Amino acid sequence: MIKINCELVKKILVRFIRDELQKFGFYRGIIGLSGGLDSTVCCYLAKEALGKENVVALILPYKDLNMKDVEDAKEIAEKLGISYKIIDISPMIDIYFEKYPTENKILIGNKMARERMAILYDHSARENALVIGTSNKSELLLGYGTIHGDLAWAISPFGDLYKTQILQLAQYLGIPEKIIKKTPSAGLWQDQTDEGEIGIKYSEIDEILYQLIDRRKSPQELISLGYGKEKVNRIVSLIRISQFKRKMPPIAKISLRTVGLDFLYSRDWYK
Amino acid sequence: MKVTVAQIAPRLGDLEKNFQIHKEILEKAKKEKSDLVVFPELSLTGYSLQDLVPEIALSVDNNHYFSEFKKISKDISFIIGFVEEKESGIFYNSAAFFSQGEIVHLHRKVFLPNYGIFEEARFFARGNNFEVARSNIGKVGILICRDFLHFPTPYLLFVGGAEIIVVISNSPVRGVSDNDYYESARLWECQGENVARLLTSFVIYCNRVGFEEGLGFGGGSFIYNPFGKLLRKASYIDEEVFTQEIDFNETRSARIVATYKRDDNPHLILRELKRIVERSKEE
Repeated sequence: MIKINCELVKKILVRFIRDELQKFGFYRGIIGLSGGLDSTVCCYLAKEALGKENVVALILPYKDLNMKDVEDAKEIAEKLGISYKIIDISPMIDIYFEKYPTENKILIGNKMARERMAILYDHSARENALVIGTSNKSELLLGYGTIHGDLAWAISPFGDLYKTQILQLAQYLGIPEKIIKKTPSAGLWQDQTDEGEIGIKYSEIDEILYQLIDRRKSPQELISLGYGKEKVNRIVSLIRISQFKRKMPPIAKISLRTVGLDFLYSRDWYK
Repeated sequence: MKVTVAQIAPRLGDLEKNFQIHKEILEKAKKEKSDLVVFPELSLTGYSLQDLVPEIALSVDNNHYFSEFKKISKDISFIIGFVEEKESGIFYNSAAFFSQGEIVHLHRKVFLPNYGIFEEARFFARGNNFEVARSNIGKVGILICRDFLHFPTPYLLFVGGAEIIVVISNSPVRGVSDNDYYESARLWECQGENVARLLTSFVIYCNRVGFEEGLGFGGGSFIYNPFGKLLRKASYIDEEVFTQEIDFNETRSARIVATYKRDDNPHLILRELKRIVERSKEE
């Protein structure tokens, strides 16, 4: 396990959430709370950074697909004393697929992720609260997320922490055992699990990612060190094919100065 | 003598706001009878400037902030960081030392980090010397951030007679593991302790805090005395302004106990350096 000093990480993230929101004139954050590990930890930290009255959780179930998680999410929100709203996304999803039917569960899953995004952003404006993303570094590197769906956010506190590091943070923060013990899942269809879909356990994924990305080891080095060849190659290939999800889309350069290329101002310009 | 270290979070590109932050801290330090106030690198501008560089650059002789600073410096000495436009269109990451109503010293950053998250050489010209300032508070060498991490630079200040080495910095948090420090903080602390002890000089390190586009500056500013003893260290991540009493006689005591200064032989070093550099040129 790639261990972290949870006290220090918490301090950094609390400051990050507060600073990056306040710079843009916001004091409130809004989080899509699934009842899983990442969104739960995120609510804990957001409460610490912004105060319980400034955190809004949206619980966005589809039919009775993750009833247990919805119950857990409610319990977490109540325990933290943050306000929450449950919005059933079934009518919006069903009406669309009635008109454009498909059996492809990835299409359905992506649509659900984007519906949740649309509701989060609508409530972002209603609540005067910025969307705090909950994707972690493992997901970002593997491209395990829906572009313009769960990969849409105003700020991302967990984008540089691996899944197994979020788990350490959860233990440090005293998050209920039943949340910590859950099998990681995007919850987009029945019995979907991250590890089942990727085909490798997070403990192995994170170790390989850490060696490749943080320690800059080559895939060949990892294989010669005894990491499984198939696993290493699968991870390398997932990273490569998902690069587009981690970059702003390209703009064709025509003029002498182009947005995104040589119009170089930080987001935090005068903030 | 009292030194104030101002671990602040400047606002990116906002000279006016940052000037006010400086002014408030200087006024407070004056009340505390501090002799020297140290601000971080680019304290007047923030760090991730990119195309803002030409928009917020100041010419040393002609700007109202510096006229104000000069007035304030009649009562208290201080070091700030800013973007200097030395010649038209040529910009430096600079430090200005204000004392007794004047700028007594300017240092232009020499080693501009340009890798990974850093792209300073893309926007700044490189400084070209390591002079020691002779001021009313003593012989002070000023380094900007990465200048301090290149081995020979503190030595050049040592040979130049420095008794206080002031390092102003914008060092971001990198490499959090399960240690009680982050990796990049350790770098500064190790170098700080070593330089203080081996060059028998005070080392005053002032880093900034606050986030710029996800990049968090780590703080952890510190002062080591010439025996390599940590006198004070600020917290990581958060703002902190502290004032520390330092005893100038300690430089003398340290140099009696540990005779690195007396035993130094810059002529030999120079001769050897020259020989080695010439030889490697031939290879």
